[in-house]
Amino acid sequence: MITFSFDGKSYTAREGDTLAAALLRNGVGLVGRSFKYHRPRGIMTAGVEEPNALVTIGEGGRTEPNTRATDVFVYEGLVAKSQNRWPNLSFDVGSVLGLAAPALSAGFYYKTFFGSAKKWMFYEYFIRKAAGLGNAPTQTDPDRFSQRAAFCDLLVIGAGPAGMQAAVEAAEVGKRVILVEQDNILAPSLLRDPQAQDAAWIKATAERIRAAGGRILTRTTASGYWEHDLVTLTQRIAEPGQIPPHNVAQCLWHVRAGHVILATGSIERPMAFAHNDRPGVMLSQAVRTYVQRFGVVPGKRAVIATNNDDAYKTAQALKDAGAHIVAIIDARPAPAGAGSGFRVYNNAVPLSTKGARHCLKSVTALVDDKTVSWDADLMAVSGGFTPVVHLHMQAGGTLDWNEHAQAFVPAASRQNVTTIGGAADPQAIFKMVPVSSPKKSFIDFQNDVTLADVDLAWAEGYRSVEHLKRYTTLGMATDQGKLSNMAALGRLAEKQGVAIPEAGLTTFRPPYTPVTMGLIAGAGAKDAGAHIRRLALYDLHAAKNPIWQPLGYWFRPRAYPTGGETLAQAALREAKAVRNNVGMTDVSTLAKFEISGPDAAAFLEIICATTVSKLAVGRGRYTFMLREDGVVFDDGTVWRLDENRYLLTSSTGGADRMATHISYVRQVLCPQMRVSAVNVQEHYAGIAVAGPKAKSVLATLIGEEPPRHMSTVPASIAGVPVIILAASYSGERAFEIYVDASQAEAVWAACETQVNEVGGALYGLEAMEFLRIEKGHLVVGGEVDGRMTPHDLALDKMLNKAGGYVGASGLARPALAETRRRQLVGLEAIEGDIPEGAMLVTQEGASPVGHVSAAAFRIIEGGSVALGQLTDGFARHGEELIATSPTRGQKARVRVVVPHFYDAAGERYRD
Amino acid sequence: MTKLSISMLPAAPLHAFEIWGNPAAVGKRFKAACGFALPALGRSDGTAALRLIRFEPTVWLVEGDASPLASILSDDGAVTAIGGGIVRIRLSGNNWRTVLMEGGVFDAESPTFAAGCSAATIIDHVNVRLHVVDETTCDAYVPLSFSQGLLHFWTQAADALAG
Repeated sequence: MITFSFDGKSYTAREGDTLAAALLRNGVGLVGRSFKYHRPRGIMTAGVEEPNALVTIGEGGRTEPNTRATDVFVYEGLVAKSQNRWPNLSFDVGSVLGLAAPALSAGFYYKTFFGSAKKWMFYEYFIRKAAGLGNAPTQTDPDRFSQRAAFCDLLVIGAGPAGMQAAVEAAEVGKRVILVEQDNILAPSLLRDPQAQDAAWIKATAERIRAAGGRILTRTTASGYWEHDLVTLTQRIAEPGQIPPHNVAQCLWHVRAGHVILATGSIERPMAFAHNDRPGVMLSQAVRTYVQRFGVVPGKRAVIATNNDDAYKTAQALKDAGAHIVAIIDARPAPAGAGSGFRVYNNAVPLSTKGARHCLKSVTALVDDKTVSWDADLMAVSGGFTPVVHLHMQAGGTLDWNEHAQAFVPAASRQNVTTIGGAADPQAIFKMVPVSSPKKSFIDFQNDVTLADVDLAWAEGYRSVEHLKRYTTLGMATDQGKLSNMAALGRLAEKQGVAIPEAGLTTFRPPYTPVTMGLIAGAGAKDAGAHIRRLALYDLHAAKNPIWQPLGYWFRPRAYPTGGETLAQAALREAKAVRNNVGMTDVSTLAKFEISGPDAAAFLEIICATTVSKLAVGRGRYTFMLREDGVVFDDGTVWRLDENRYLLTSSTGGADRMATHISYVRQVLCPQMRVSAVNVQEHYAGIAVAGPKAKSVLATLIGEEPPRHMSTVPASIAGVPVIILAASYSGERAFEIYVDASQAEAVWAACETQVNEVGGALYGLEAMEFLRIEKGHLVVGGEVDGRMTPHDLALDKMLNKAGGYVGASGLARPALAETRRRQLVGLEAIEGDIPEGAMLVTQEGASPVGHVSAAAFRIIEGGSVALGQLTDGFARHGEELIATSPTRGQKARVRVVVPHFYDAAGERYRD
Repeated sequence: MTKLSISMLPAAPLHAFEIWGNPAAVGKRFKAACGFALPALGRSDGTAALRLIRFEPTVWLVEGDASPLASILSDDGAVTAIGGGIVRIRLSGNNWRTVLMEGGVFDAESPTFAAGCSAATIIDHVNVRLHVVDETTCDAYVPLSFSQGLLHFWTQAADALAG
């Protein structure tokens, strides 16, 4: 026996029990409270369509609200709680809302809670208190959710007899087969209704499928059918709230199937009559399932209401289990049911029930226009069968109306999908129309929607079934109308005076059953969705305990504080080291491309908007790249390493975009060129050494005179081959050292030793930002923001006059030469510190004429400076503006200046 | 069933071997010099000293001694070192195909993905190149920056499968 608890009380269950079966076994009839009226509700079904018995399972981060008691298998220690009640399930204060039911009909919210948004915030508090489902857990889920792909020739959804037979036949002719069953056993319907295929057949067939290489997944629901026969499967590895093996609670399968067979069966329909929602009113097949599969008899005196033959099996099962069948109310005329051995009332339909909170007491029916009542503690209802066509419809299929079954069945398929079994050919039923009072005749149990609500929506002009759904909330929440839609369609058709197929259909959308958010997030649920990119030198940085900064997917050191420094203090110290002495930093994340071949220069002159072909071997230059519309999208440097070999660097953040652009130019624009363009971003780790002493540090490291500014040489540091590029982003004499990343640690260590030797320091991104802003260098994503042309950034003098580069034509558009464009400017604070991101205005209250893209403090002299974009900025040098950030409550008076605050002549680069 | 072993292989020289012209002539020169033909797309070939894996129409990944390749190519292509940015992760054991389906989009479980086959794909958002060494061994070529993350991801997946 297994011990579990419900609302704090301990119970026992048998191995294989669902929570619903276990509660019924323990005589628990009241399981939940309804969404709106807080009506007492019991267990109605034995499957995923259960609308009433919604419970919260588990504790802490494993809490799963709104779980159907019929869809969780009891395990030792399971903790379940009822929902939407206070102070307890039996005595629920919210049930007074039932008294106000006449006022809470369809559209109640829309008619009552209007006014300003502020008022809605007030209403919402009380509405959420009064109505709702379970509460979302507040703690982090400790478990993992995995996602995986799978491919097969045949995917069979539903492991009933038909599905298993289809799977074994395909597997044994060599097809790759996946068989999926949402229950925890195969062919569960055979336990409810024993047939020729018995347990031995199930076992043997499963073994044959596996022996032929087929895969069988139980506790797995096909939750969505997407384009190109992609089907998502939700696999429960652990039950809700259960500690899973190896921490993985669920797996989301993405299955690409050559063909899909849907053997999904059908769902039994309830009937609409007054008080049809009481505990003790259940679907007929569900009753049979509890009796035959679980050995639980839900009542001793049963009334059966039906319009088909199937319910007679339930009567027989109950009788065999010792229950008394008080009456069978059959909507069909005689001789239906004759010879069954039960007391059958033909031409009979249920009218209402009576009962207490926990149980049913009597059933009343209309028999040949006369009212008849019986004492009963169980009512098994069968209003027909609705084929499970959800996946067929998600796959783009169409439906036909089956008059005999009064149901929609799959028609044309637009993907490689076939429906078989009960889902394709449901049982015939007798068409019946509700005769009971519509006010308490529930059709959507989960949302407390009655026939009267449908009537009201119709009376208020809602004609479309889609409008009706939204107005009444019918077909929403966890069951998505699995039990209610046909009843609503029937009522709507009746009102319209048309046949049901003409009344319309709502859309079948994934998921078929609720899917947890954790499963959709998958492995990324715990770390923001993707892996973090680690620097080749990550361990060396980590040992210094830096402040890390996310940069795209990368994490880079922002600063290396020592002795309790703040970020600002550390960054300023590091920046001063670069200005006064020497600093070194990791620039490995820069984009890098090696371009080789006789046409390499010509290729680069299409990528870059500057000239390249005139570069001598061993020389480099600054460059930038344009989109086809003439707007700058990245910048970097290009170096001629050898006669036909170049190295192109560009920004970290734009690396992937640049790789795509280069691939596009290579494969689409220049397929004829004799050139190879290889992304070597990660092949080379990069170390920048910058400052007045950088040259002497490097000379010591490489044992020779370092290259002059914008020159490159191959060299060796610590015995490791490196490429030295003499380039500066900081404004000081500086070098970038590129080395095979697998050997970078030795080079970094040698550089750090030498830098320390002369009193230098490591510096991070924050100091780098101070340095480049002071120097007036651009950053992609800041000054280069996808709107600026070379002219706007004062780069136009560097354009390749011969043209031919990507963006040359776009740049010639007249609009780009007009006035009133934003242009790059420098800003000096006159009063106050310049807030980054601030708007630039001419006076308080005026419209913005630009914005601050980056702000910093002068490293040596102090004082706030910034780079910004200003309308007609080049012509406004000397003008005073206000930089204001209302969201931060900060502002400063600024003067517009040229965007170079440090060594404008570039003398510090040169020896 | 053998428990899956997942380990990083030591850093090794890797190169991109790209042909931009005269592929037939290059192929002939290559076979004459190396003793085996340039492998077809999605396939690998080679020896213990030199192995080529073709992941792209005009580009092969070269593992081993690439020194003879530049002269074979002459002016018809280029060889570029890329090994610093790629980590080789070896998955050994019966379950490697199942592990590679985690977070993947490629059919690593297909029986046709056999020894000597290669594929370029995405696994858990990371671009990965796969090479089937033999029925119980697959090498994955992973960007250096993602290698620790992916190693962790695969190790977790393998542990879950072992259960």
